[in-house]
Amino acid sequence: MEHYLDLLSVLMLLTAIMLVSHKRIRSYIRTFRLQAVLIAIIAGFMGMQSLVNEGSFDILVICAIIVALKVVIIPMLLHKTFANVEDVVEKDFYLNIPILILMSCVLVVFSYFTLSGISALNEGHVNLQVVNAFSVILIGFFFMISRKKAIGQIIGYLVMENGIFVTAIFSTHGMPFIVDIGIFIDMITAVLIMGVMVVQINDKFDSININNLRNLRG
Amino acid sequence: MGLVLWIAPLLAVALSQIAKRARTLHAISICVSLLMLVVAGFCTHAVMTAGQLTYSFLNHLFLIDSLSVIILDIVTAIYFLTCVYAIGYLQNEVRHGKIGEEKLRLYYMLLYIFLFAMVLALTVSNIGILWVAIEATTLASAFLVGFQNNPNSLEAAWKYIIICSVGIAITLVGIIFLHLSSVDVIQSGDALKWNVLLSEAKNLNEPVLRFAFLFIVVGFGTKAGLAPMHTWLPDAHSQAPSPVSALLSGVLLNSAMYAIIRCLTIVNVNIGDSRYTSRILIGFGLLSVVTAAIFILSQKDYKRLLAYSSIEHMGIIALAIGLFTPLSIFAGLLHMMNHSLTKTMLFLSSGNILQKYNAREISKISGLLKVLPVTGPIFLLGLLAISGTPPFSIFGSEVNVFISIFDANHPWLGVMLILLLAVIFAGIAATMFKIFFGDGDTVEMQAGEINLPGAVVMGILLIVIVVTGIYLPDGLKALFIAAQHIILGG
Repeated sequence: MEHYLDLLSVLMLLTAIMLVSHKRIRSYIRTFRLQAVLIAIIAGFMGMQSLVNEGSFDILVICAIIVALKVVIIPMLLHKTFANVEDVVEKDFYLNIPILILMSCVLVVFSYFTLSGISALNEGHVNLQVVNAFSVILIGFFFMISRKKAIGQIIGYLVMENGIFVTAIFSTHGMPFIVDIGIFIDMITAVLIMGVMVVQINDKFDSININNLRNLRG
Repeated sequence: MGLVLWIAPLLAVALSQIAKRARTLHAISICVSLLMLVVAGFCTHAVMTAGQLTYSFLNHLFLIDSLSVIILDIVTAIYFLTCVYAIGYLQNEVRHGKIGEEKLRLYYMLLYIFLFAMVLALTVSNIGILWVAIEATTLASAFLVGFQNNPNSLEAAWKYIIICSVGIAITLVGIIFLHLSSVDVIQSGDALKWNVLLSEAKNLNEPVLRFAFLFIVVGFGTKAGLAPMHTWLPDAHSQAPSPVSALLSGVLLNSAMYAIIRCLTIVNVNIGDSRYTSRILIGFGLLSVVTAAIFILSQKDYKRLLAYSSIEHMGIIALAIGLFTPLSIFAGLLHMMNHSLTKTMLFLSSGNILQKYNAREISKISGLLKVLPVTGPIFLLGLLAISGTPPFSIFGSEVNVFISIFDANHPWLGVMLILLLAVIFAGIAATMFKIFFGDGDTVEMQAGEINLPGAVVMGILLIVIVVTGIYLPDGLKALFIAAQHIILGG
């Protein structure tokens, strides 16, 4: 069982690094969906475990919500938003891709060294699942600041959120149920609002390049 | 009774959807805000007699004590006053064609959700739900910031939602670690409740808790406007409609600070010493004051000036709370109240100025005392108050902060802070000279107020900040002292 979870956490980390290497918005969305599927599987595994051990359905319900929300609805919303804005393929990152990937790897090493010092997290050996999940948060953050397009920032935010969810599930077997529900409601609202704003930005600035957003300074 | 605080705003959302005329919308808004104020008064009374107010519903999800009640009172009072002001403000906007009448409904709906989220954050016992509520305030107010729907306000709204969402996501990492530190100690039904965490604080896992606190301060600090995570604040506060700016500055920043204070107490009780949290909060606080001082000196836009002044005052509050002596905590809480009231008054008057002159630049405003006979003097006195001149209340709490700093044996810190506040005073004074004693070469303006109820609201605020600057009622003092004991962990 543990080996499957290890494998899944590594795969999830790989999808995050894959995302950093993409150039087109359509492939961002595809990779995000792949990552969401992996998270749903992780939640499914953990849910089965807690159903067998404690008889609670909470994590399985969360798993179902993830499938509905992150695998189906959010990618659909993103596609819709993307269809509404002008599609110009341009170089939309500040550094080239090999450097971005290299820096993502540095982030993984960084989170390994940060988390290996916390004894409550690691029983005897370093808990690599949490390290992988935590790296996904950092890579999502890094992705946000490395892209110039507004949609890239939304995806980065969602990847961070994915990483946070998996960190929670690996380190504490999930947050209290009611909190998780609240987080999902907030997340879907955030994506809706950001989507509307991207369309508005496209109308007002004629592109979704956030480098144009620099009127307010000082 | 306390649950009315949750139900009333949600009911108002529904009512505002059915209301047909602008007048009905305004009436609902006044009724709801007045109701909230009355219920908050009731809660204050209950907390002062019993110490805590809670209901068994949903495993004691609703829980308030003196600390939350102080901030709850600030929220409801300022919300009520801005609602009165907003009627005149919105009518002017509609008359000038800045917004269509149909957008009023959207405005009020978002405002009620904003209010609900803020009140939820203050009255809930679960830190996870508190997180959800604070994130919801961002989402509800993002469109309010971008309400004018021009490129500048859109830019501000985008920065606001992205920076605050990421900041808040970082907090969530902290809350996960907070949860992790308590997993072995607290049963799953009581997980993440601040009252349970506090009573079990000694048994929590210390290294994890320290780690968690860093994330929580950075995340909620983003929302509270602490430098260097403050970058959304000047944009959002200057681009939002003035009643919303007043709410963001006077109310929202406090709610985020409240969340930091809750976690701070748990961490300090656990470690048994406040040095760790002191270093973090004093660092962020001092950096905020420095940043504000630099930007206030070179500011060309009066609403941005006020926004930077909010960063300054949140910095002072963080510093005072971080110092963690009884006096500094008392002063910090008092400063929170004083700053909220004064800053609300200033943002409301800046709304009148903006509507009258139709300009944001300090250089385009002159002869204000003549053109706006009520707003002008209030704005002048407000600027004096916010820069810490007696007899206004901010002077009182700032003096208390200084005394506590020197008492706690940090002379260099006190000297540095005094110098920075002097710089800020100079910056604001320079602005004042330009606005009030300009040579008046602008186009001739017709003198006269444009929002009379609004002017009355500002007058009330002015009286309050003068009176509390001289005399603090005993009841209020007792409430602050009770909150101070809670923060100290006792």
